[in-house]
Formats: sequence, C-alpha cells, structure tokens
Amino acid sequence: MEDRLTLSNKFKILTYALMGVGVVSFALGFVFDAERTWANYLLNNYYFVSLAIGAAFFAAIQYITQSGWSAMFKRVPEAMVAYLPFAAVFFLILYFGMHSVFEWTHHEVVSHDHILQHKSPYLNVPFFFARVVVFFAAWIILSKVLRKLSLKEDEVGGMYYFQKSELYSKIFIFVLAFTFSLFSVDMLMSLEPHWFSTMFAGKSFMAGVLHASSIIALIVIILSKQGKFSLLNHSHLHDFTRYIFMSSIVWGYFNFAEFMLIWYGNIPEETSYFVHRWHGVYKILFFANIIINWAIPFLVLMPRKSSRSKLFMIPVILLLIIGQYTELYYIIWPATVHEVKFGLLEIGTFLGYAGLFSWVVGTTLTKASLVPKNHPYMEESIQHHF
Amino acid sequence: MSKKYILGVFDDEATLVDAFEKLKDKGVMPVEVYTPYPVHEILEGMPIKTRITHAAFFYGLFAALGILGFLTYAAVIDWPLRYGGKPFNAFPSFIVVTIVATILSITLLTLFTFSARAKVFPGKKAEIFHERATDDKFVMVFDEDGIANDSESLKAILTEHGKIE
Repeated sequence: MEDRLTLSNKFKILTYALMGVGVVSFALGFVFDAERTWANYLLNNYYFVSLAIGAAFFAAIQYITQSGWSAMFKRVPEAMVAYLPFAAVFFLILYFGMHSVFEWTHHEVVSHDHILQHKSPYLNVPFFFARVVVFFAAWIILSKVLRKLSLKEDEVGGMYYFQKSELYSKIFIFVLAFTFSLFSVDMLMSLEPHWFSTMFAGKSFMAGVLHASSIIALIVIILSKQGKFSLLNHSHLHDFTRYIFMSSIVWGYFNFAEFMLIWYGNIPEETSYFVHRWHGVYKILFFANIIINWAIPFLVLMPRKSSRSKLFMIPVILLLIIGQYTELYYIIWPATVHEVKFGLLEIGTFLGYAGLFSWVVGTTLTKASLVPKNHPYMEESIQHHF
Repeated sequence: MSKKYILGVFDDEATLVDAFEKLKDKGVMPVEVYTPYPVHEILEGMPIKTRITHAAFFYGLFAALGILGFLTYAAVIDWPLRYGGKPFNAFPSFIVVTIVATILSITLLTLFTFSARAKVFPGKKAEIFHERATDDKFVMVFDEDGIANDSESLKAILTEHGKIE
C-alpha cells in the first residue's frame, strides 16, 4: 500500500506567498515599529513551537499507551514535529530582540531592582540562551531518533522498532515535561519578571497539547478531503475529538485554578499580573480566552453525534486556532507593547509563520508513505470501531 | 400469570451474532441478550436507544444553575457577610463548590432515574432466565407472546445457529 502524498503546485505557491507576506510584514515592521514586531516575533515563534511540542507529546503518548486507533495517522504529528529545527533557529535570532521584549535584560533596570538582582542567576542572557540550545537540542535529537525508528519500521517491520520507539517515547515525555515547563517560564512568564505562578507551566503545556491535537485532527480531515486516509471513519474522528475535549477541559481547569488562587490569595505581587489585564480590551480577551478555548469546545463537542462529524469539528478547530492566538496575545501584549495594537502587522506575521509551518508539514509528509506500512497496530487502526 | 419466554443459549460470540443477524433479518427481536462482556453487534443491533445521557446533561445544567443561584442567594441577598476583603458576590469562589456539587447531583439523579426506569430497587428479587447467564454463556431471551405465530421456526433457526440448550 504505497500511499504517498504529492504536494500540488497550488499548495506550494500558497505557502510561498504566505511566507512572502510574513517576510514583508516583518521587514516593514522592523522599520516602523521594532518593539511591536519583536513581540509579534515572540508570539508566533511560541505559537508554532507549542504546536510542534504538543504534536510530539501526542505521538509519544500513542506509543506509551500502545494505542491502536492512531497508528494510521502517526505521520501527521511526526510531520509537525519536523518544524522544531526551524523554530530553534528563530529562537536564537530572538537574541537581537531581547531588549525589546524582556525587561530583565536591561542592566539599568536590574541594578535598581532588588528582586531582579535576586533572580539574575537564572534570568541572565547567557544562561537563557544556553537553556534554549539545550532544550532544542534535546527535543530535536529525541524526535529525530523517533522519526528514524518509525521509518525503519516501515522497511523492516516486526515488534523490535515499536518497542524501541516506546522506550524513547517514555524518555521523551519526561524530558518534555521538564524542559517545556522551563521553556514556557522563560519565554512567557519572564516577560513580567516580578510575577510568578506555579500553574503557568502546566497551563502552557496543556494549551500546546490542546491546539496541537486539534491541528492534527484538522490536517487529517483536510487530507481525507483530498482522498487520502480513505479508511478514516467516525470512530477515528471521535477519538480525535476526545483528545481535543479532554485537553480543553484540563486547560480550562488549569486556567481557572491559576486565576482563582491568585484572586483568593490576593497577594500584591501575584495580583499585579491580573490587575493590568483587567480593564479595556484585555478584560474582553480574558473572557474570550475562556469561552473560545474551553466553553465552546466543551459544549459543542459533548454530544456523541457532533463529536463524530467533520461538520462540527472543523469550526471548533478553526476557532481553537484563534484561541491559542488570543491566549498568547493576552499574555504577551500587556507586558511588552503595553497597549492594544492589532493590525496588518499581526495578521501578516502570523500568516507568514502559518505558511512556513504548512510548508514544513507538507514536505515532511511527502517524504514517507503517508500511512505507515509495518506498524504492528495497523490492522487494529483500520478496524477501529466503537 | 407469569409470561413465557424462549431462551437461546450459546457457547461463543460468533454463533450468537450469527443467530442474532439472521433473526433480525426475519424481524424477530430478542427482548434481552445476556453476554459475559459487551458484544458490539448486539449493542448496535438492539433497537434500544438510551436517553439517559440527555437526562444527565439537563440534570447537570439545572444543578449548576441551582447551586450558583443558591450560593448567590445565601452570600449576596440573604446574609451578606464580608470576609477576606472580598466582594459579596465572590463569584470565582462559587465555581469550585458548583463543580463538585453538580457532579454529585448528576451522579445521584442519574442513578435514581436509571433505577426507576429499569425497575430495580434494593431487595428486589433477581430475574434469572438462565443459571449460567451471569457466567460464561451467551443467552438470548425472546418473549413468546410477541412471536407466537412462528415460535417453531425461531427454534429451528436457533438450533441451526449453534444453540446448545
């Protein structure tokens, strides 16, 4: 069953055009409003890294739980993980924009601030980039190992490569839990270096899982509309929905827990974060965040019928794509840009990244048989029905 | 007057499903099928659709609204008390109570609904059609009144498809 994906010229032109839009927006942005452009840069980088990491987590979970249903689709999360090397380069380029987004990189601010001096053994530029390098190296190496095992399995078959993948997935998931927690603290929480929340890393990770699983489902649905994945049935869709539904609830729970404890504790250094996110547009975004990322997926995907139909899944997924942007905008903008600005720059840069991400996913999907050939759970995946 | 039933007892899943499909084509439906584990074809094939999920959803909706309403009434309207520097309507602190109490209400109300609909209650005498229906045998139960006209052909089909008793 040689089922390879070929990219149509239309898709290639579209992604190149989107990348062009992104490059132009960034170029114009750096000329006219560099600070805001760096905030955009950070947001989009984080956005797509969280998708890649969420996909890596998704793939690892499938191995660890020895899930049968998802065997057919494992190329899709693998393709999303292939974005990580690009993201690594982008995050190293962030060095040039450090001063625009991270308050703690300014020496004159730190020298007058006792708390920031106290935190400086962790929050300093060399160690920050050392962490970025270590994290990305760990993610890229482990995901490459898993990808290699998965391709080897296509040629050889048997249980050996599956068991090896399972072992590496277990290692990966522990590495991921530790490194991505610190990564989200570095990239998002340290934007406001005085503020801290123990829920933050968990919430960011869950947001990544939520949006990555919805993107995986979206890619599978798009490919099935193109005539691929002809064996996709409603039970598979239902399982994708379960991932979206479950992670949406966990995310909502974490988000609420974070807010609730800070609200109840009422300690000034914690509440400062929410105080200046509690007026004007940010207050709307606070509620929009909860409604888009939790309430709507929860209510729409609850009935069995709608959780098995593409008709209900696609709008929810498209909404969740906006949802992750809303959340990151809500986290990053009050800390960096300090005022609500949303215009062509934001849209253009996001489209640029979306184009690059789709191009990476598309080209990676073409490199191997779309449906794995010798996966031990392939038969179970085809027969999947409940 | 007790009703009369015809039983088909089977040894394994395959023969049971065979007989079930055959009878379904002829328009004969068992009133109940007992299996040691859930059998997919039977679950989908039986003309029984549960509405208990809808009931549970509405119990949850009304329980959540009711509990929120009660908390608001108690803390804001009836006995406003300032504690911890919070406003009377300390909405975020109501949510945890609401979630937990809603889960409890859904569980209990759904249990009672199910028991009432299935007519089970503590101390009820169990209806056992076949000694080994709770053991390793697959048992199909037919109501004799419903199929009085062709009970002979039913028995023939059951035997043909591997009925063992």
